[in-house]
Amino acid sequence: MTTALLEVANVSRRFGSVRALQDASLTVERNSITALIGPNGSGKTTMFNVITGYLPADSGTIRFDGHDVTRAKPAILYRRGLSRTFQQARVFGHLTVQENLVVAGGFSVAQLFGRRVGRQDRERAAALLVEFRLSHVADLYASELSYGQRKLLEFAAVLMSQPKLVMLDEPTAGVNPVMIETMEQHIRQLHASGITFLIVEHDMNFVMRLCDPVVVLDQGHEIFTGAPDAVQSNPAVLDAYLGA
Amino acid sequence: MRSVRGIGQARAAVFFAVLAMLPAFNLAHWVLNMLVFTLMYAVMASAWNLLGGFAGYPSLGHAAFFGVGAYAVTLWFQHHGIHSGYEPFFLLPVIGIGAAIVGLPIAAIAMRTRSDVFAIVTITLLFVAQTLAFNLRSITGGAQGASIAIPPFSAATFERPFYDVLLVLLAVAMGLTWASMRSKVGLSLAAVRADEDKAAGIGVRVQAVKLLAFCVSVGLTAMVGAVWAYYVGFIYPQFAIDPLITIAIVLMTFLGGRATLWGPVIGAFILELAQQYFAYSLGGSQYYLIAYALVFLVVMLLMPRGIVPSIQERLRHRRRRRVVDAPTSTGGAAQPVRAEAASMTRRPFTPVPYAEGDRA
Ligand SMILES: Nc1ncnc2c1ncn2[C@@H]1O[C@H](COP(=O)(O)OP(=O)(O)O)[C@@H](O)[C@H]1O
Ligand SMILES: [Mg+2]
Repeated sequence: MTTALLEVANVSRRFGSVRALQDASLTVERNSITALIGPNGSGKTTMFNVITGYLPADSGTIRFDGHDVTRAKPAILYRRGLSRTFQQARVFGHLTVQENLVVAGGFSVAQLFGRRVGRQDRERAAALLVEFRLSHVADLYASELSYGQRKLLEFAAVLMSQPKLVMLDEPTAGVNPVMIETMEQHIRQLHASGITFLIVEHDMNFVMRLCDPVVVLDQGHEIFTGAPDAVQSNPAVLDAYLGA
Repeated sequence: MRSVRGIGQARAAVFFAVLAMLPAFNLAHWVLNMLVFTLMYAVMASAWNLLGGFAGYPSLGHAAFFGVGAYAVTLWFQHHGIHSGYEPFFLLPVIGIGAAIVGLPIAAIAMRTRSDVFAIVTITLLFVAQTLAFNLRSITGGAQGASIAIPPFSAATFERPFYDVLLVLLAVAMGLTWASMRSKVGLSLAAVRADEDKAAGIGVRVQAVKLLAFCVSVGLTAMVGAVWAYYVGFIYPQFAIDPLITIAIVLMTFLGGRATLWGPVIGAFILELAQQYFAYSLGGSQYYLIAYALVFLVVMLLMPRGIVPSIQERLRHRRRRRVVDAPTSTGGAAQPVRAEAASMTRRPFTPVPYAEGDRA
């Protein structure tokens, strides 16, 4: 078990003439909180989509937990223990908040014939609803939530199963500061219980407090990997954010 | 919550009790005949709703499975004598399961596509099935058609057995719909319909519920086809596998409201009765089709998402307003009331099933 949890090697992906990822590599060590940062349009979300099977890579390989998952679909990756959120939170608008959590509970085919929301489901969901201060909206449709609440809900839903790696795409964007703190606490707690994180984030304070190491992407290629305090003084990184 | 569920069950009980007693009133044959066809469409629209409504896969090929059922019962009794008039009805479960099994590989392939492409793929299936029915003459009789033994029911109450069997099928279709809505099958289907890719990524059994919805849906449709063939006694390819059947059940489901328990049934009763009535009152001319289309257009303009979702939405707004207006003290006490009210309005249906722009 010395291999890294996630190994992305020389991955490329283009959209027409746009090279969103160019020969990009990235490693997420077990039980780390790895940050993936970079200017807008540098390919962070594309990297997420390629890793999680939502988009095929043009070339390169991806290994997760010792398995080659380069061509794997999202359902397979979920079963191997990889969960993610989306930059534009994707929740089920016409399900209630509670149902949005329950549906992410990872049940078997046999369990499909059980109650829509059973007592156990309700209990599991209730704990998360309380922690994310969503209890009072538990029975509203997710479409009735604010943008920030949707991001929280999507994050909470990921925690309904037992993922090994959680990938968050800009989790704090549009979320109020109190909730950001809640999220941070959660990430710390889960990290302490052995869950690994890969987080795309613009809020550098958040990154500095929470993440190590930090990977910087620029024009689809990684230009820096290292400790958070080394990032801000790195000339290549400064150049990517300020120059050109 | 409990009382709301009680109301739903009482409503269903009254509905089926009234329908079960109707034939006892010595209705004229043409009325019973009309009701038989209305029930056929109610079952088929309910069945279509499982796939086109709840799963969000708008099949246009359901008439192919109607034809499978029609030919299955006809061909079976060409080779086996009918000893009692009810015998073909006992064959229905076999036909339903058989059609579901036939549907499984078709679903596995067709459901790799979605929305409009899925609609095209399934309507292609319909024309393939019709072509086969025309051309496999040694089996189907081709354009000459095929006949099934005349049911030995007394002329005075000829429609009764068909009516009763279709009523049972409607109860089965609605019962399955209700059960799915209350189980994680329905929850999973709702997720698939809203965002299938996201659903797959959070471990929803996407493939299992999709195939299940397809197979149950076409199985029920095939059973109606079998009852129809036995009822009319003689089948031709162009009527047994008829795109108009597909169109009718899709329109009915849209009219009543997709992904609701009662929507397809209400839609079938309105449109089928309207069609029969206009065909009767406007005589042999084709004007009845215009009247039929007008009924559909007027309702859809007033209630774009269908009758049941529109009514639910209105009730929901009214209740929420009442809750918000209620003179509760600040803080803790207000929240549970609001949450409870929201959960009440939510049952027993799931309204707002489609995103904007998804109306045809
Ligand atoms: N589905 C897509 N189709 C076309 N171009 C895309 C698509 N997704 C991303 N891109 C392009 O790829 C580049 C990288 O985008 P993205 O990965 O979203 O960057 P980031 O998340 O770092 O802001 C951008 O130029 C973007 O316009
Ligand atoms: Mg992005």
